[in-house]
Amino acid sequence: MLTIDDVKKQLKDKYQAAVKNFEAPYSTRLFVDIDKSKVREISNEIIKMGGRYLVSVGYDNIARDKTLGLIHNFSLDRDDLFVCIRTSAPVDNPEFDSITPDIPNAGWSEREYMDLLGMKFKGHPKPKRLILADDWPEGVYPLRKEVPYNLMPPAAENVAYQLDEAPEGCTTIPVGPFHPTLHEPAHFAVFVDGETIKGCDYRGFMVHRGLEKLCQTQVTYNEIPFIAERICGICGSVHATSYSQALELAAGLKISRRAEYIRTIMLEIERIHSHLLWLGIAGHLIGFDTVFMQAWRVREAIMWYGEKLTGNRKTYGMIVAGGVRRDITPELGDELLGILKTIEKELITIHKAIVGDGSIHRRTKGVGCITKQETELWSLVGPVARARGVDIDVRRDHPYAAYDEMQFDVPVVDSCDVWGTVVVRILETFEAIKIIRQALDKMPAGPIMTEFAEDVKPLQHAIAAVEAPRGEVVHYLITGEENRPERWRVRAPTYPNLQGVPAMLLNDQFADLPIIIGSIDPCFSCTDRVVKVDIRTGEKSRLTKMDLEKISRAKKFAGR
Amino acid sequence: MYLMSKIKQVLLVLKPGVVTLKYPFEPHPVAKDFRGQPSWDHHKCVGCGGCAAHCPARTILIRDVCQDLRVMYYDGSRCTYCGRCADVCPEDAITMTEQYELATNDKNDIGVNMELFMLTCQRCGRCFNMETTNMIDKMGLRGFKYDNLETRAVISKLTTEQFDPKMLEESDRFKRPQK
Repeated sequence: MLTIDDVKKQLKDKYQAAVKNFEAPYSTRLFVDIDKSKVREISNEIIKMGGRYLVSVGYDNIARDKTLGLIHNFSLDRDDLFVCIRTSAPVDNPEFDSITPDIPNAGWSEREYMDLLGMKFKGHPKPKRLILADDWPEGVYPLRKEVPYNLMPPAAENVAYQLDEAPEGCTTIPVGPFHPTLHEPAHFAVFVDGETIKGCDYRGFMVHRGLEKLCQTQVTYNEIPFIAERICGICGSVHATSYSQALELAAGLKISRRAEYIRTIMLEIERIHSHLLWLGIAGHLIGFDTVFMQAWRVREAIMWYGEKLTGNRKTYGMIVAGGVRRDITPELGDELLGILKTIEKELITIHKAIVGDGSIHRRTKGVGCITKQETELWSLVGPVARARGVDIDVRRDHPYAAYDEMQFDVPVVDSCDVWGTVVVRILETFEAIKIIRQALDKMPAGPIMTEFAEDVKPLQHAIAAVEAPRGEVVHYLITGEENRPERWRVRAPTYPNLQGVPAMLLNDQFADLPIIIGSIDPCFSCTDRVVKVDIRTGEKSRLTKMDLEKISRAKKFAGR
Repeated sequence: MYLMSKIKQVLLVLKPGVVTLKYPFEPHPVAKDFRGQPSWDHHKCVGCGGCAAHCPARTILIRDVCQDLRVMYYDGSRCTYCGRCADVCPEDAITMTEQYELATNDKNDIGVNMELFMLTCQRCGRCFNMETTNMIDKMGLRGFKYDNLETRAVISKLTTEQFDPKMLEESDRFKRPQK
């Protein structure tokens, strides 16, 4: 177990003057101000201590001291500690050392700030455009304060994203822009050798909505939970909870225990319906529509209950900064217990019916394999990581809401394939039912809303993570003036998981592509920030696409 | 094993039978506290603008056309039905109804336009007593607002404590950014 003081001491001893300042407003958050020349070394040092990379946050600080700020966030899962290393560079030369060569998952975050803030990263392996549209003019950085939130630059023609070239001997198959798994826009260029996938390039972020900019310039703290909830159509409450927790931490507000219990129940209701939805979709993707129909039939009960409790089928609008909006009365609690009993029974039946079905096993076992080491390298989260033997769960590692009083298991399997994610998700649904029962049982009386006693002080940093059904959601908040955030960074679970997809796809069959992408339960709208690439290593080919196609045809007809 | 699981699947499907609802041929009632289309009671509304100040979708607009007349427009085409307006209304003038079948080919069908005659203080010209700490005051209302109803844009910069015809004109010139 490392404590904050251990981390401080280790960093101070090793890097002395490069570590300028420590700030630890709570016992679980450590903010370290460092010199930018040591970013890469200190990041590696924290990984060595057992840290897991979460996300980077870039922000515009030009008005204050003519710098652009960059924060790399890490989680020490075994020690219940978040370490945020903050650094900055002058705006006329915003160059940082890239940490991507060591921590591949930082690739997207860094590319995001190349696009949005005009930062430069020395040594980045793939400094291509990630978020902005292909016709967005060069030199306009939308997240800088000087750029208005509603700027609409003229459209340009004849611009297209340059996808990576296929490795030699491979054919490119475009998949998208409508996604084969969920009906959301994303483009995969899949490089295949025969039927075997040898790599892929991804262009997404086609539904980038500029939510962060909007919330930093237009709305107020109280309205953001509703906007946060609309980041994702399936797991909205997790974003609202995560944002609210970050704000409450920044303001030093302790909300009532009853509100925390109700939040816990809402999050678990969401987990049940999300996992049942995913189970249905996974069945549908492999052509097993019985599962699809039955899982969704079972799910409907919890959807109707959500409508009864909150007033809406999804986007509950239940969680706001300071507490929750509606109380769970004893009658509603009893009804929920009844529904859980039915769902549990039905899910056991479904589980028994599919667990022995050879067709599911053949489609999911040994498909989308990556090793535990690769999973950790890519910082994958949620059921995707737990199916690869990585034992992480924010609910247990960094307890929030009422999870510190809940008894539950974190299912971890080490089959390393898509079948593992099916098993993990089914087991997690049972755990969620268990948690709701305990929460309803133990829920204390009390108010459901706590008022903010005073205005939120500007320039307070806070980070909050919540375990969403798909993995871990991280919200980083810097409070600002005028009753709105100075910077609000959202990281949805698909953001890291999608970066690991090329590794999962490697050497699998093309027909398995939908279920492999589906196995991470992708949510492109929440991610929307994009790209990645992973290609078979080898010499760089300078052939055009046409040449490659010719070669691959020639190879095929040569009776290989 | 394979056959057993197929038999189980057949039973799984047969047992619940057909669960599809007959909707829309049969009405589908909603739960008691459902958040459907909001409805305004113009008898109760005091025109405080609290709903407009709290709407996350910025779908409630307020335009003071003179010192005594305030026009409130609710643009249902962008509403997210979060029910925040009903929560904050100090007079309970807004209720979330059970109406959810709102598809229409004219978005004005689901808008609400209210012209509210405001009582103003003869001395200061403001609509309400701003000094006392009442519910309205807590909503952080500054006084007059001049949103542009034609483009349905909330113009947050234009709020004054005294009615100002120049601001009203300025709001008329507002144009949405275009490519």
